[in-house]
Amino acid sequence: MEIVVLRNVYKFFGEKHAVEDLSFSVPKGQIFGLLGPNGAGKTTTLRMIMRILLPDQGTIQVFGNTLAPSMVNRIGYMPEERGLYKKMKVFDCVAFFGELKGLSPERARKKAKEWLSRFELSEWAQKKIGELSKGMQQKVQFILTVLHEPELLILDEPFSGLDPVNVDEMKNMLLEMKNNGTTIIFSSHQMEQVEKLCDAICLIHRGKNVLSGTLSEVKSKFGKNRIRIYYDGKAQFLKDRSLVLESNDFGKYVEIQPAPGVTPNALLKRAVQEISIHRFEITEPSLHDIFVQLVKNQGEQIE
Amino acid sequence: MNKTWIILKREYLIRVKNKWFLIGTLFFPVLIVLMVILPSVFMMTGNVGKRTIAVVDETGTLFPLLKEHADGAYKDDQGRPLYNWIEISKNEFDKENLNQEVLDGKLDAFLIFPSTIFENNQFELYAKNIGNFQFNESINAMVTAAVTRVRILDTGLDPQKVHALTKSVRAKTFKVVKEGPKEESGELVFVLMYILTLTIYMVLIFYGMFVIRGVVEDKSSRVMELLLSSATPNQIMIGKILGIGAMGLTQIGIWAISAFFLTTYGTLMVKSFVSQAQLPALPSLSLGSALAFVIFFLLGYFFYSALYAALGSMGDSESDIQHLQWPVVTPIILSLFLMFALMKNPEGPMAVVLSLIPFFTPILMVMRVVMGAVPLFQVILAVVLLILSTLGMMWLSARIFRIGILMYGKRVTLPEVMKWIRYSS
Repeated sequence: MEIVVLRNVYKFFGEKHAVEDLSFSVPKGQIFGLLGPNGAGKTTTLRMIMRILLPDQGTIQVFGNTLAPSMVNRIGYMPEERGLYKKMKVFDCVAFFGELKGLSPERARKKAKEWLSRFELSEWAQKKIGELSKGMQQKVQFILTVLHEPELLILDEPFSGLDPVNVDEMKNMLLEMKNNGTTIIFSSHQMEQVEKLCDAICLIHRGKNVLSGTLSEVKSKFGKNRIRIYYDGKAQFLKDRSLVLESNDFGKYVEIQPAPGVTPNALLKRAVQEISIHRFEITEPSLHDIFVQLVKNQGEQIE
Repeated sequence: MNKTWIILKREYLIRVKNKWFLIGTLFFPVLIVLMVILPSVFMMTGNVGKRTIAVVDETGTLFPLLKEHADGAYKDDQGRPLYNWIEISKNEFDKENLNQEVLDGKLDAFLIFPSTIFENNQFELYAKNIGNFQFNESINAMVTAAVTRVRILDTGLDPQKVHALTKSVRAKTFKVVKEGPKEESGELVFVLMYILTLTIYMVLIFYGMFVIRGVVEDKSSRVMELLLSSATPNQIMIGKILGIGAMGLTQIGIWAISAFFLTTYGTLMVKSFVSQAQLPALPSLSLGSALAFVIFFLLGYFFYSALYAALGSMGDSESDIQHLQWPVVTPIILSLFLMFALMKNPEGPMAVVLSLIPFFTPILMVMRVVMGAVPLFQVILAVVLLILSTLGMMWLSARIFRIGILMYGKRVTLPEVMKWIRYSS
């Protein structure tokens, strides 16, 4: 069952196309990554799913319907710009948003207690939010999003501003929620950081869908066509356009995209003549590589 | 509806539990009481000292009459004369000397009655402070009384009789209402009108600022988007307006109740301390006026706070509030000016027309209802118009609000706002 479906969605801000002909769907129980650089239209897309903004064209369905106010209780949303009532006590604030998401006052208080103790914030429950450290505030923000046990979780840049420990914690939390059947959509501009987390992705650039599908689909589309060589010496062959379409030299090693029709064997044969090789491997491209390549190609088409 | 209630509850509790609410609620009446009491305290203490006045009487007849009149008519609480008179005979008169005595504070003033006083109607008053109108007027009144007495005696009439014959006449005021004329003091009606209209004025300015500030704060703290993911813009806006309104009613309720106890028990207490204290009779509120006040007070608050909320949604920092508030504060202040201009003729065509304009209705209608008998259909028409425009304002504000609350970092222009109103989203 598809939890979220976007069909040919457009959004304009004045002359600017924030989102252009965007379509994708998210099946139940998946983690879906909406990836792209800053300003690609990720936040606008998520806001449209939440119906905070309305699309100018196209349709968006959530749980099989146009999102009605009565359905928002089934969704947890974390905006990109985090915000809390700084003067409110932690416990009161959490319970308030729980109630606002349709929990009864008693249940909201019970859940607030549970979640605060789970994140080791019980001691801070009666403190004002403004007195908490930034890391703690981020935990509170996450609690607000998941307190009411939503079926669908929409997180705008959940990893930004987190330290590496908290990034891991957040990943584990998302995987745990996925195992409980929650559907998760999140956006990120740091693609390598999240690629292993996603079941499916949509890469967007300037509001347009550049590439989408399950992670394995995306990867197989580009195949295992990257060659990485750790070496010493002068690699003259890298400039040979009949062999190498593109290369990225990191000093110690170089990443190569061979020219069409060039086999790894042919490349290796040439390389051994010029450099001493420590390691030679055939790998799949990272999402970042794929994205850069696609955007470059597209840019050439546009200009 | 339920979510509106949850937001209302939070907005209300967070403000009522705040220590500044308590301080403000307690401090405001103290301020008012000080403002009312202090001037009268100063006036009273100012009168306690007996004033010494020297008189140089060139007519030879005026001084005894002046002293007799002053001692009889100007007395303090204990019945002692307020002025101490010293006559200086023409021979002893030394202006330099008297000047010095005034400067030294031995004398408060000295008067010179020239022999021509009966023809020219003029005498001379020398004092350090000649800007004290109250004092000057008292002296003028006393001397006039003495001069009049001399003139009456000169014509051979009996001063007592003349006094009885020339006694001034005063009107007893009745307010004409449907149920028939009813005795009411004209001044008290004014006092009542001022209290009611100024209360509305203050509520619109003061609690309106809470609304505009509340919206801007939620925007600058970025809580707004989180709220939006759980409730509709309408629910957020109405919840805020009602929550802040409920806080205002709580505060005004506390003041009204304490004012009630203060006036009923306070009067008794003051009377037991100061036997002769003259306390003003308290204005009584007719049922019609009270009803009009409550209706226009509430509708006025909703009408204006919707506008405040829309304006608040256009800003995202404390400093924006300064310039954003003007479009809404201006008509409120204007209503007050109009009230002062129109209260002399509350039934005139200008008053009728202006009081039907929703921006001015809350203050002008209450003024008219308290001041005179407004035809019932005009009141109903004003209520209907105000309800319709409040709904219209709520609708319009909600459209501005839901776009405005997502806008950050730029000053909004009027054409842009017009575009927001037309947006489907």
